[in-house]
Amino acid sequence: MSGQLTPKKRLLSFSTLEKWKDFSLALPALLLLAIFTYFPLISSFYISLTNWDLIKPIKKFVGLLNYERLLKDDQFYRVLKITFTYTVLDVALSLLIGLGMALLFNHRSKAFGAMRLLIFMPYYISMVIASMVFVWILNPEYGVLNKALEVFGIDKVFWLNDTSTALWSVVSVSVWKGVGFVMIIFIAGLRSIPTEYYEASSIDGASKWRQLIHITIPLLSPTTLFLIITSFISSMQVFQSVSVMTGGGPLGSTKVMVMWIYEMAFVQFKAGKASALVIIFFFIIIFFTFVQFSLSKRKVHYEG
Amino acid sequence: MKMKQWLLLVTLLMMTVTSAVGCSKSQAKEEATTVPPAPAQEDTTPIKIQYWHSHDEDQTAGLDYMIKEFNKKYPYITVEPVFQGDYDELQQKLMAAVAAKQVPAVTNVEVAKVPNFSESGMLADLSPYIARDKMDTADFSTGMLKAYNYQDKQYGLPLIVSTSVFVYNKTMFDKEGVTPPQSWDEIEAFAQKLTKKEGNKTTRFAFSVPGWSSWYYDPWIMNGGGSVLTQDNMSAIDQPDSMKFMNKFKEWKDKGYMHIGYGKGASDTMRQMFFDGKIGMVEHTSALIKWYMEKAKFEVGVSFLPGDKKRISQIGGAGIAVMDMASEKEKEAAWKFVQFMTAPENNIKWAEFTGYLPTRKSAIESEEGKQYFSKYPQYKAVFDNFDNVMPRDQHPAYDEVSEFYVQALGKVVLENADVEASFKEAAKQMNDVLAEYATK
Repeated sequence: MSGQLTPKKRLLSFSTLEKWKDFSLALPALLLLAIFTYFPLISSFYISLTNWDLIKPIKKFVGLLNYERLLKDDQFYRVLKITFTYTVLDVALSLLIGLGMALLFNHRSKAFGAMRLLIFMPYYISMVIASMVFVWILNPEYGVLNKALEVFGIDKVFWLNDTSTALWSVVSVSVWKGVGFVMIIFIAGLRSIPTEYYEASSIDGASKWRQLIHITIPLLSPTTLFLIITSFISSMQVFQSVSVMTGGGPLGSTKVMVMWIYEMAFVQFKAGKASALVIIFFFIIIFFTFVQFSLSKRKVHYEG
Repeated sequence: MKMKQWLLLVTLLMMTVTSAVGCSKSQAKEEATTVPPAPAQEDTTPIKIQYWHSHDEDQTAGLDYMIKEFNKKYPYITVEPVFQGDYDELQQKLMAAVAAKQVPAVTNVEVAKVPNFSESGMLADLSPYIARDKMDTADFSTGMLKAYNYQDKQYGLPLIVSTSVFVYNKTMFDKEGVTPPQSWDEIEAFAQKLTKKEGNKTTRFAFSVPGWSSWYYDPWIMNGGGSVLTQDNMSAIDQPDSMKFMNKFKEWKDKGYMHIGYGKGASDTMRQMFFDGKIGMVEHTSALIKWYMEKAKFEVGVSFLPGDKKRISQIGGAGIAVMDMASEKEKEAAWKFVQFMTAPENNIKWAEFTGYLPTRKSAIESEEGKQYFSKYPQYKAVFDNFDNVMPRDQHPAYDEVSEFYVQALGKVVLENADVEASFKEAAKQMNDVLAEYATK
């Protein structure tokens, strides 16, 4: 046998075989992705070109009509604006408060460990439960918050029933819940900054504030980028808290994109139009993620 | 990364797609089955059918009882009840079932979904069965029966029927010497007597109408002489008669008589305020009459909605229907079950078990029915208006377009917007959707 094993006679070279082996090992994972991600995505695209109502067996092909209707619809731009407002508020507040807390609680002692745990705790709570608790806290007649404000003589605020406060209320739940996570990641980032920089700069007479601006924040930028990208994507797709707390109301003032998609598909049975919206939204998110990555190439400071 | 929610949505959409292609083949067959089924000679080979329902915990005792009784009558039919969550969940599961071509034989169908489900061929037309077995449909409350009729075909029968009523604090009313208003004109005097104020702030509202769902004020639109849709399915919401209720609501609200709950959690708040004596009378579903009686620390009374040009109230709840995709044999068994569940014999017992309304005229007039009313005099108010419990306009896009005048009402209630301007805008939005629907 060994005599026949000349390079010419081999059907596949060793390295090709090796590549196939690698591929076959990745196959189960790829298969799952194909079934649960790529196939739905492509199918969605197909449905978006029909007028399917989710029940009828017939799907009439309507071309780009769904896209045309959506892009001409004022509500599309309104929902998009609300979704971006929510995202900017959520990401900015979580990151700012999270950074503040990270700076505050970045001490190695048992007491600080316990405090960090307490701040991190809401992260473990399911979003639905957290939202329900906040619905009670914010209840205009019986809620704790209004009762507390009453002591200071502040009149009833209809937190979730007022178009000017509803979005802020939903954002506050998300910030409250997510800020602990942001803090922990920032603390990990802070601890990887070499102390020599601080020592050197304090010898040069730099104040704490200048150290923060010129050392801490620039050197935290990879962490910040990671947090911005992950929370941007999850904020854009907010659904549970909105669904539980306001259902998109009052007067549509908290109707975010996923909420609208849900309504369109499962309340109004416009699967075709909803799929078109899914596709548009998919590209919007991809676009912004891409923008963030390319901006970061110039700005982010990776410490070796 | 949290792509999950988004993915879930897409996956759900997809799951329903995969088999949809295959479904299209059965289209031709469906046409053939509308022929009245031949009077079946009693085929008693054992058969098992599934009943998908939304009867929650406090109704399961009643359901178990009914199924047991049914088995005594038809020992060869086994009915397997499957709880599928609330109406929305049930509906989503039914859609998935149709896509997977594995449907239950019998199901609940929420009254508001009748147009959608009928139009898409999901439910079997029961008319041939009714004609064949000479079922006396005139015995049903006219409105309740009509609610499950779509384009002259009977797609289901009323099973758990509710309607909106005013639930009032009788103890308070007796003390203040007021009775619930029977017409819109009586509301001013009634409310003036009952409302309590401290300065400009109302500390006790005379009454409350939920603003969170159009189901509660659709009857007000009708009673004022208006309607939601015109004959040719365009918006009628900006007609003077249709807006009459809103102008009244605004007036009553500005005077501090009326509380209008809006948005999520408003229902809980309204109930709590009622129990605390901060509201004298609340409009709510008749399905909760028993609940109010149990929870309140005072005597509870029930009154039919006050009328103006008309005096009607709107149907809610669910009916029982047969799935069209089930086999002929299953349908036959399912029809027997439907007949049994809605029969006059068990009507009062069922109503008592569930807290929903009896549906049969003969049942109400029976001895059992009379006992029922002496036990729960609160329900009497509803039954004096038995035939005035009406279905709403039937249109597959009703839920979608009603959202617009819910918002218009919200603008008036929350932001003190002009009634006419908001309702004109709502009408325009409704017409856009209705037009889009018509061209589909």
